[in-house]
Amino acid sequence: MSTKQIESLSEDTVRRIADERDEPEWLLETRLDALAALETAELPDVIQTPGRRWTDLEALDFEALVDPLNQADETERTAGDDEVVVLPFTEALGEYGDVIEANFGSVLDPEHNYLTALSVALFTTGTFVYVPEGVDVEDVTVRAEMNSRSLFSQTLVVAEESSSVTILESIETGDAEIGDDRYFSNLVEVVAGENANVQFGSLQNLDDDAYTYSLKRGVTDTYATVDWIESNFGSKLTRSDIETELNGDGSESQIVGTFFGTDDQHFDINARVWHQAEQTTADLVTRGVLDDVARSVYEGVQDVGEDAWNTSSYQRENTLMLSDDAEADASPKLIIHNHDTEASHSATVGQVDAEDLFYLESRSIDSRTARNMLVEGFFVPVLEEIAVDEFRDDVEELVLERLQ
Amino acid sequence: MSSQQDDLKETDTEARFEFKKEENSAFKSEKGLTEETVRVISEDKDEPEWMLERRLRALEQFQEMPMPTDWPGQPDLSEVDINEIVPYIRPDIDKRGGADSWEDLPEEIQDTFDKLGIPEAEKNALSGVGAQYESEIVYQNMQERWEEKGVIFCDMDKAVQEHEEIVREHFMTKCVPPSDNKFAALHGAIWSGGSFVYVPENTTVEMPIQAYFRMNSEGMGQFEHTLIIAEEGSEVHYIEGCSAPKYSAFNLHSGGVEVFVGEDAHVQYSTVQNWSKNTYNLNTKRAIAEKGGRMEWISGSMGSKATMLYPSTILKGRGASDNHITIAFAGEGQDIDTGAKVYHNAPDTKSTVESKSIAKDGGRTNYRGLVHIADGAENSSTAVECDALMFDNESTSDTMPYMEINESKVDVAHEATVGKIGDEDIFYLQSRGLDDDDAKQMIVSGFIEPITEELPIEYAVELNRLVELEMEGSLG
Repeated sequence: MSTKQIESLSEDTVRRIADERDEPEWLLETRLDALAALETAELPDVIQTPGRRWTDLEALDFEALVDPLNQADETERTAGDDEVVVLPFTEALGEYGDVIEANFGSVLDPEHNYLTALSVALFTTGTFVYVPEGVDVEDVTVRAEMNSRSLFSQTLVVAEESSSVTILESIETGDAEIGDDRYFSNLVEVVAGENANVQFGSLQNLDDDAYTYSLKRGVTDTYATVDWIESNFGSKLTRSDIETELNGDGSESQIVGTFFGTDDQHFDINARVWHQAEQTTADLVTRGVLDDVARSVYEGVQDVGEDAWNTSSYQRENTLMLSDDAEADASPKLIIHNHDTEASHSATVGQVDAEDLFYLESRSIDSRTARNMLVEGFFVPVLEEIAVDEFRDDVEELVLERLQ
Repeated sequence: MSSQQDDLKETDTEARFEFKKEENSAFKSEKGLTEETVRVISEDKDEPEWMLERRLRALEQFQEMPMPTDWPGQPDLSEVDINEIVPYIRPDIDKRGGADSWEDLPEEIQDTFDKLGIPEAEKNALSGVGAQYESEIVYQNMQERWEEKGVIFCDMDKAVQEHEEIVREHFMTKCVPPSDNKFAALHGAIWSGGSFVYVPENTTVEMPIQAYFRMNSEGMGQFEHTLIIAEEGSEVHYIEGCSAPKYSAFNLHSGGVEVFVGEDAHVQYSTVQNWSKNTYNLNTKRAIAEKGGRMEWISGSMGSKATMLYPSTILKGRGASDNHITIAFAGEGQDIDTGAKVYHNAPDTKSTVESKSIAKDGGRTNYRGLVHIADGAENSSTAVECDALMFDNESTSDTMPYMEINESKVDVAHEATVGKIGDEDIFYLQSRGLDDDDAKQMIVSGFIEPITEELPIEYAVELNRLVELEMEGSLG
């Protein structure tokens, strides 16, 4: 692990972060445990086939990227409703300490891998969202700007029985002059109680000097739903994992992903669902576009456990290649332990259809515009899955921006 | 280098000496795969020096390479004890001459042969040297016709002697080098037997060439090597046997298949394998297709405790194409990890993979596939389709395809489905007076039909019969 040793990282560093935020003892202990875990933790698994690793996380120079005591962000949080709690952890710990303690790390083990441990040990920003029983809120937004070399964010969403919430989160680069490479880490845990409904949308549009790691995981109780929308446009290298454990009977999850890579951007996108109860449903849809020398790596896993009777599980991934120098790698996986299952997955890679292009050009649309129209059209099936207008507009706008 | 060669010579003499001394007794107890063993095999076959050297190099590579252990969800190979490999081979060398008898075969194998309707005479032959099937007779009858055309079809050991130059050029050099994986290296060191097929330019072998495995007729039959060379414009269909279970006392099979598909040539390789259920089946099969060449793999994997087999094709020349049709059936205690690999290394190349699997009584099937499209392989297209059928909750069925796409002007599609056997379908058939077993059997037959219809009729019939036996659970 010597390559990942970070000099500025010590117990002192972690204690200072906790002290400054006046955190309770249990959270400091959690941070220190995570710090200790760095000694042995491994980097996240990356797909390998003979002769190559699809994403080179080993090449990340954490010594240069991580500056734990100088984290800065500008984050706007709006709740839209008094009944829902939307607060940074520092403020929430006083009043909701018990709820936080009971749920923090319950969905996502801080020691899951090196990057999660690093994140839990050092996080300074993030949000606690608490939706009490029966409350129904549609417009929780968290808009964050990154203003430092490194930024670690931790979000916990607790949705109680029969509640419903839609959360939109976005991250972009702020105006602070940092120069050089930066590292953004984002961990999100979602606990969906019985019959609760959580929709969590995330839009990452950092500039090209940033490296992003994000792991979002939700668990569902009986009849609960956790839906994810994961849009990645920015960063030089993005590793994004979106996961749902369907633990309650009749629970559901939808994972909608979009990405658009230009220049030498690299996206490593992973979607995973574990069916662990009866009559659960999952639907994974990802569409991505690659231009220039951008690369994408996609892995989707549908894991149906032994007790997951009457499972329905679907996955599709499509990549559109706009450039000959781009590369798209995909590996959709099915792991099925219960035969009472209807499961399918599919993946395609292709270019803009020549006939479609010809058709549009024959209607006197110039080839550039025609191509852009087809790319926009390519995203339509996933955009349609985004129920929140504001979020859909944001994604559409970013697609257009990329096409300029 | 020179001193190393001297060393080799010295050991060589020793080995010869020891071999003579120990052939019947002491050697048997030696553990581990050693240089001596390899020398004994080579000596025994009276091989030219270059082949011995290749074996020894492969042995070195085998010893250096680690066991594959870190693939996601791979079969458990912890029982495969490399140090036990040689003792497993030894007794069989001694048994050459057909010491085995029908009665020595395990009951389940005997039972299967009975149910397959293999006649008594053939049963006897199965356990000994003289295993001769109808195909062998076909071979005899047709040999003259083939010979006139310049077609060569013989066993691999003989080919080393009689067609040394062709073998020397192609044997584990360009297609499956021993360095490919640990078991390819093992194979390179101790391979024995197998088939050699050579089809000259513009020659079509109209009838399928069939090689049934001759059990125990060669000491290490489970390390057989098949080398098929189809020159420009030629066409051949090779069927590797075994519609019946291969029985052997050993628990490791590590074969090698190399196919050279010349320009505009067409090779079809079909096999239905049904290993005994104590066998680890770890093969390497690969084809290289030149411009306009067409490769077809058709395989049924029925037996074995664990199989790791991913026949692969390198589409090297423009317009080359590849088709894979596979079926896997895993019953109790079986882990069949199989799939297909295709490398699109030239423009206008095409491939299709159609894979069907059935898991029952706690068996596991996995489709593990790789489609690689190299930069510059424009206008390539590939379509992969996998369907899995599961019978019960104890079974597992996985699909792990990998797609590496470096070229934009391509058409890549992968699709997979998993489903249980339809209750409604069964109900419908039962309402027509079929019992539960027959109904399931009929549904499975329908499920695998796309595969069976690609096989010559006798194989299709036997594949169906094998599936039927698996369904009855009578294969053990």
